[in-house]
Amino acid sequence: MMSLVPAGTISNLACVEEIWFFQNLFCYEGIKAHQIMDRNDGRESPPPFLLSRRSLVTEMPAAKAESMARPRWDIFCAVVDNFGDIGVCWRLAQQLAAEQNREVRLWVDHLESFSQLCPNISPEADQQQCGPIDVRHWPRHFPDAFPDAEVADVVIEAFGCELPARYLASMAQREVTPVWINLEYLSAERWVEDCHLLMSPAPRSRLSRHFFFPGFTTKTGGVLQERDLNRSRQAFTPAEATQFLTRMGISTPNPDGLLISLFCYENPALPPLLECWADGTVPVTVLVTPGFPSTQVSNWFQQELMPGQPLQHGKLTVCGLPFLSQPDYDRLLWSCDLNFVRGEDSFVRAQWARKPFVWQIYPQSENTHLFKLDAFLGQFLRDFPQSAAVERFWQAWNGVGEISLAWQDFREIRNSLQEHTEVWACQLDRTGNLADNLVRFVRGKS
Amino acid sequence: MTTVGGCGFSIFDRQDGKCVMSVKIASNLQSGNVIMIENEPVVVIKAQINKSGRNQAVVKVRTKNLLTNRVSELIFKSDEKLEGVMMEKKECTYSYFSTPNHVFVDSDFNEYEIDAESIADLEKYITPDMKEVCEVTFYEGRSISVVLPKTIIREVEYTEPVARGDTSGKITKTAVLKDSKHELQVSAFVEIGDKIEIDTETGEFKRRCT
Repeated sequence: MMSLVPAGTISNLACVEEIWFFQNLFCYEGIKAHQIMDRNDGRESPPPFLLSRRSLVTEMPAAKAESMARPRWDIFCAVVDNFGDIGVCWRLAQQLAAEQNREVRLWVDHLESFSQLCPNISPEADQQQCGPIDVRHWPRHFPDAFPDAEVADVVIEAFGCELPARYLASMAQREVTPVWINLEYLSAERWVEDCHLLMSPAPRSRLSRHFFFPGFTTKTGGVLQERDLNRSRQAFTPAEATQFLTRMGISTPNPDGLLISLFCYENPALPPLLECWADGTVPVTVLVTPGFPSTQVSNWFQQELMPGQPLQHGKLTVCGLPFLSQPDYDRLLWSCDLNFVRGEDSFVRAQWARKPFVWQIYPQSENTHLFKLDAFLGQFLRDFPQSAAVERFWQAWNGVGEISLAWQDFREIRNSLQEHTEVWACQLDRTGNLADNLVRFVRGKS
Repeated sequence: MTTVGGCGFSIFDRQDGKCVMSVKIASNLQSGNVIMIENEPVVVIKAQINKSGRNQAVVKVRTKNLLTNRVSELIFKSDEKLEGVMMEKKECTYSYFSTPNHVFVDSDFNEYEIDAESIADLEKYITPDMKEVCEVTFYEGRSISVVLPKTIIREVEYTEPVARGDTSGKITKTAVLKDSKHELQVSAFVEIGDKIEIDTETGEFKRRCT
């Protein structure tokens, strides 16, 4: 049963539900759901109220309203290789649900990868609830019987993955087509600013998507950061760091030495760097993540590296780590003096950790990645007087130049780089976090 | 007039002989191409390809709607299949500029005006004395764009002298073209006053003309 109520009373009805009912079913006189929502959640200044206060609007029964209360977002994630795709999508899904009160459904084509990152995920289940997130297996053959009404209000294709044709057809069937976003890769290149939020009309369709580019300036979409991340980091005490490392099977490292985390792709620069650390004058303890780093370190030692069984050579001690959850990986970054990171997700987390870091960028054909590396270095090191030492070491870590010599200079400037990473993180904070920027953009499009 | 194909392949031919539709891959878009966007023809003013993550790329396109003259910026994945329109084309030569149009003339001395904004990306190659035969494209009888020859020859007005000892051609330097003042990278051995061949599709220096 439904009843008519004066629109003027709408703000007294706790009525996000009613408004979404309008958007989903008949879009009353151009009223925009998000505009009323803004009035209710109080986060933004109230936009114009489009309904006449005397207009009669349909009130929805509470039970039905409850089920339609929150805007529904679908995120599609195709796992290409490694854990970067699902790592970013999982973070985004959690942020949208927890901080933006969105009803999030995450479609993942390779649940085995996801289950490594999030052990609560069952690789066999087609549908499962993981906290507030509805996780769906994205099958190769998307169900033909997928109902049009199941399509979300906002659809995100992550990293250019192609949406299933059946789902696209359902999107086109909706009276109000969903906001469709292609979430792109993170880059510091200048062209990203020019392309951020541009529209891409789909040929022979009424659908249109927007390209959303993460980045490091206010003219881009920013990067992911949970609202409580900085607070959690600040509250993480040295005692907790010790407890964390113990839990990871790491005995207390030498306080006079360097504690380093290592997460990288297969990297020809790693063996000479291990050599350099072993032959150095300062004790270096390297905490090695599973996968490529662990394999390469094992090969160098000619002995398999196992968690809880450190290996030592000269001044170098290496400790194997188990596969870490995202929160534990953050704790690892906060605990170390220097972090080697790769790709996109760990690269961003290292910046929020406010510790010196070294980035191995995802290798691309025609050395395109080196331009992207230089673009980031250009932004990150602007106003940093000792930038040359950082540039040289990062480039050597990415295959350009000799790593051993570069390490000596890099080690010298580590303390000033520590200060600079704090400055950089503050600056990055001002770009706004990606999830907030995404929601703000969607509000403007709804 | 003749109907000339471009990149892509024909989907169907119109019986009135004016234009045919084709599939146009976004990465092949060039200034002067016409594509259908939301069922309306738009001419590409400028197309710029950028490499994104992994080995993907995106194409940023500046377009002008042929019905409304509205200029828009759009973006596509590089492998996206767009609905292209192969246009009527006519061989012409450049005649003169009359604000805001460039005027081209055919062998019968018919003049065709093209809005400078629509070919902004080509203006760097257009000079008052250019002799190259171009193809003016038409949409429903209206001249809307021009396609330059694949290569053109232009004179270098200024470039820095080459560093002594290196004439390998592997090192590049900046050169400024006569008239348009357009800057491009050329081989180190190129000197002031040289005529050089330029690829109009890529904008790259090809070789020095003897």
